[in-house]
Amino acid sequence: MAGVIRAVGRARARGEGRARPGGTIAYLFVLPAALVFALFYLWPALNTVLSSFFTWSILAPWQLADPATWQFAGLGNYVEVLTDGRFWNAAFNTAIWLVLFPIIATVLSLAIAIGIWEISRGARALRTVFVLPMTVSLTAAGVLWVLVFNPDFGVLPAALGVFGLDGANIDIGPLHLRLSEWLSNPGTLELGFATVNLVNLSAIMPAVWALTGFGVISFTAGLTAISPELIEAARLDGANRFQIARHVVVPQLRGAMVIVAVVFVIYALRTFDVVWVTTQGGPGTDSEVVAILLWREALAFFDSPSAGQATAIAVLLSAVMVIGAYPYLRSLLREAPE
Amino acid sequence: MSGLRRSIGGVWWIYLLLVLFSILWLVPVMTVLMTAFRPLSEIRDGWWNLAGATFTLDNFVGAWSEAELGSKAINSAIITGFSVAATVTVGALASYAFVRLRFTGRGLLYFLLISTMIVPVQIILIPLLPWFRTLGFADGTWQPFLGMVLVHTAFGLGWAVFMMGSFMAGVPRELTEAGQIDGAGHWGIFSRIILPLALPGIVSFAIIDFVFVWNDLLLGLTLLDADHAPLTVGIANLQSAHLAQQDVISAGALLAILPPLALFVALNRYYVRGLFSGGVK
Repeated sequence: MAGVIRAVGRARARGEGRARPGGTIAYLFVLPAALVFALFYLWPALNTVLSSFFTWSILAPWQLADPATWQFAGLGNYVEVLTDGRFWNAAFNTAIWLVLFPIIATVLSLAIAIGIWEISRGARALRTVFVLPMTVSLTAAGVLWVLVFNPDFGVLPAALGVFGLDGANIDIGPLHLRLSEWLSNPGTLELGFATVNLVNLSAIMPAVWALTGFGVISFTAGLTAISPELIEAARLDGANRFQIARHVVVPQLRGAMVIVAVVFVIYALRTFDVVWVTTQGGPGTDSEVVAILLWREALAFFDSPSAGQATAIAVLLSAVMVIGAYPYLRSLLREAPE
Repeated sequence: MSGLRRSIGGVWWIYLLLVLFSILWLVPVMTVLMTAFRPLSEIRDGWWNLAGATFTLDNFVGAWSEAELGSKAINSAIITGFSVAATVTVGALASYAFVRLRFTGRGLLYFLLISTMIVPVQIILIPLLPWFRTLGFADGTWQPFLGMVLVHTAFGLGWAVFMMGSFMAGVPRELTEAGQIDGAGHWGIFSRIILPLALPGIVSFAIIDFVFVWNDLLLGLTLLDADHAPLTVGIANLQSAHLAQQDVISAGALLAILPPLALFVALNRYYVRGLFSGGVK
């Protein structure tokens, strides 16, 4: 955290050389933003942190100004959450997202971007196909994929049926794949210490479909910045297509790769929408991620006194996010206007 | 331009793979179009059977009125329109202050605003519900909309200041100094020099904010009752009801997809430029 403050300090030090002392007028420009931000972001955020140390429900909320509502729990909510099997189940499902979603989406978008970059005719049309789903809400993307998985008229079961694979059971070592019931029980992968419910993949698919476009756009921007001379030189040295892609092109995309990966990781950590419309976290809690569990703890039953645990989860989730994305946060602050 | 193409020949298999993938990518789109525009009874054996296919708008009528997605679409339009307008206005003013003025708390406020680009919305979500009740935003005709607009504004400000600020910082200092010499105050410089020149950046931000607010599910689901809920919530509720209403849901999903898509197609240049300025929300 000190590093971030220092980065801000530097940005400000740079800024002070150029920005003019604003006097009262500066506050008039910034006042509306500060007011809205304080009332509808900082205040609720402060409430989240403080109320995570109390026992309360949505119907009888903890209030800073009203000591009658203070049912102090100390670290009780955190202990409760961290010793709850359901939390660790959700954390594990979120971890599945964290591993699979960024890898699948990054590799796919990198391959697609390089592929499109290598061709001439139809490049623009092809790129549009992959970029357009970015404007689709994850809610709608989930709805679309539920239709694709539909046992009666979904394309996936029908396509598998052509090969006689619809409903087939495939067991390869620890992998137990059932090519049916995509939204409830498509099988498991035994890791020894834990079991991966493959139903999580059914929720990850729509997110990959919707967000790959962001990677394609970012990698395309990186690719257009590579100088043709560099590739020509590699070619003259006798490098083939794959060697050029692997040793010349991909290293040049480092910057784009970092941004794409960070954005995908952030998305994976807080995923809610697409799980909500595809599996609702089910069956049971098989695909319940942290954001879904948090919502249910606080809001499934308004009179349930577990809102404090929900805010404790929110604090934990935010802490993981800030620590994990700390380098990215610093890079954002380094671009501070001067 | 294309890099390897000119140097090494034989790209047919790249085309093949790309076309295969784009077909995969278009499958959900074709599915939703066919399910939305054809009677459900006709597609039971697969929407790809086009023999004797009939196309109808009945599903849209059903979605709009019977499933009450029409009123939800209007709610979405109200929430999104006012949220984008408020975020752009408040955010542009603040961006100018961050870029061109010095004031106490500048670094701290900037740090807090930028942090919201990373901290998940869950950090404010739960206390907002009692907070809405305290402020009188929990029920009423327009009050829940106002509350929602203010939350979206607060949540969008970090992004607003980051994006519009970077565009405003790109306005040459000579221009604003010329304005100063001509006797323009901060308001004059902001409204007559900075705003017109940073307009592409402001439009980029407005589009991204529009897509973000229109597509929000979590805030709407948590904070708004059925009378004020946006389209995304309506669709999600239909979806989880587990009734065989795929036709109506498909029509509703298309309704939800169209406005951001139209905006994207019309203003593609601005949208892509906006995305380059630092990731997606």
